[in-house]
Amino acid sequence: MKRSRAYIGFIVPGFLIYTVFMIVPIVFAVYMSFFNWSGVGPMVPVGLANYRKLLFSSRESRIFFNALTNNFKYVGVVFLIITPLQIVFAYVLYIRIKAHKYIQFMLFLPYVISTSIIGFFATMVFDPNIGMLNNLLAAVGLPHLRGAWMGDPNMSFKIFVAIVIWAFIGNGMMIFNANMKEVSHDILEAARIDGAGELAMFFRVVLPQLGSSLNTVSTLSIIYALTMFDLPFLLGGVQGGVNNTLDFVQMVFYRRAFGGTYFGETSLGYGSAISVTVLVIIMACFLLLRALIYALERRQAGSI
Amino acid sequence: MTKRRAHKSISETRSAAVAKGIISVVLILYSFIAIYLIGNSILNAFKTKPDLIANTFGWPNAFVLENFRIVLVEDGFMRNLINSLLLVTMGTALLVAFSSTVSYGLSMYTFRGRGFLSNYFTIGLMFPIQLGILPLFIILKWLNLVNSLFGLALIYAANMSFSVVVFSRFFRGFEHALLEAARIDGANDFQSFIFLVIPIMKPVVFTVALLNFIMIWNDFYLPLVFLTNSANRTLTLGIYNYTADFLSNWNKVFAGVAVALAPIIVIYFFFSERIVTGLTTGSVKG
Repeated sequence: MKRSRAYIGFIVPGFLIYTVFMIVPIVFAVYMSFFNWSGVGPMVPVGLANYRKLLFSSRESRIFFNALTNNFKYVGVVFLIITPLQIVFAYVLYIRIKAHKYIQFMLFLPYVISTSIIGFFATMVFDPNIGMLNNLLAAVGLPHLRGAWMGDPNMSFKIFVAIVIWAFIGNGMMIFNANMKEVSHDILEAARIDGAGELAMFFRVVLPQLGSSLNTVSTLSIIYALTMFDLPFLLGGVQGGVNNTLDFVQMVFYRRAFGGTYFGETSLGYGSAISVTVLVIIMACFLLLRALIYALERRQAGSI
Repeated sequence: MTKRRAHKSISETRSAAVAKGIISVVLILYSFIAIYLIGNSILNAFKTKPDLIANTFGWPNAFVLENFRIVLVEDGFMRNLINSLLLVTMGTALLVAFSSTVSYGLSMYTFRGRGFLSNYFTIGLMFPIQLGILPLFIILKWLNLVNSLFGLALIYAANMSFSVVVFSRFFRGFEHALLEAARIDGANDFQSFIFLVIPIMKPVVFTVALLNFIMIWNDFYLPLVFLTNSANRTLTLGIYNYTADFLSNWNKVFAGVAVALAPIIVIYFFFSERIVTGLTTGSVKG
């Protein structure tokens, strides 16, 4: 380590950019949420009016809570389906099943494809008229199974989840996989000498060691879940799909902040109130997550 | 890390081997979805319109480049392609420059407030940039950078927390003796950074650049919000415009997708391991 003032020269440029374009906007959003402002002219202080409108006015709150419910429905899917699936895939790659290199390459591949192209793929597969799925069903003699897919309010969310799993499972999967590779070989060898099979190894040795990656993946997933925008926007349009089944908070924000004349007023204050509310929810989820993981680790430590 | 572990132990019964075989087969079949979607999109880009309508899911009758000509020349996709390239180049270059110097300053020097600054630079991992969009809009307006590729590149560069983590991890293992030697030879701190450190950190620069190249090339939300002028649109927005009205653009959309997809697939083909290790080293605490 050196003692010299040169560090200032290294840090200041990045510090300025990071502060101006990353930190200030978040802080400023909190400030703006207490004003009524269209971007030009004076800022009118309105206290908590923007939050009251969002959370309690009959029309707006219905839209907001419908969207927020969808965000949390997705959080539920993350913890019940996606994360377990990522851990299982990470483990089958870890124990080097046949063709694991090819399988890893292919499972991770969609992660590098733009969401706008994923959305196009979804059209190719699920479009009721020209999509592959309905054509395939007709071709194999099951025309009665053809559906409206994204146009069916009972199906749209399920298909959305299926697309998310296909497209975005790779990152979390590889984070778990990297964590598994760090599990001490002594522990693994000891378990193997005790005659543990792959399944027992998974539950008794590998799974309890995944605390740090579980923390990372859950953090990433919560951020992704509560700022969900691209995919539902591309699949269901700006209004959030049939019967708003694919409406998410970030899309409500987009309509209110950038919708302009199409969706009523343009209010930067109200849009910021939505952002700040999401931020508070994200922070609350982080606290809850920390508490949960802490409790799990305590229980584990107690059981040994 | 040992490369191969002895997995064929006595405990591995026949049924476990069969189960593992079945998992392999299922996952290989599953991988055909990706191959088919990507392959079919690229093949369709070469079909004539009648061929495409009669034969949407098969091999082209003949490979024609007409769609690419229409899309790139007549529909201005060339503009989108150039915009994407400009944005990616500026964003990645700025990000690497800012985040590597910040990490170097934080990792190689001791000073008061260093711990606080380290936390300050990683807190961005917790705050998604989407939540600061409106203030960003106003800041860019003040700087006269709305609807500008450079303005957007600055936002990508500011989103540096992940890259700072990756660079800091690299500098943690850096050989301080080398820097001492350089100083004795009369180099000042900035000279040793440029002539000594930069050549050594090429691999990690490559990894960070690769990850951010992919992220910026693929990004949809920030261009959608900040690039409203059609002359500034990126490839992802061009594709979105086609798919929003895909029936009238049916033959063009595949060529547009092929143009955006091909470079990424090529990069992934050569550097998939690098991408995965880059992403995971920034994520798993070591």
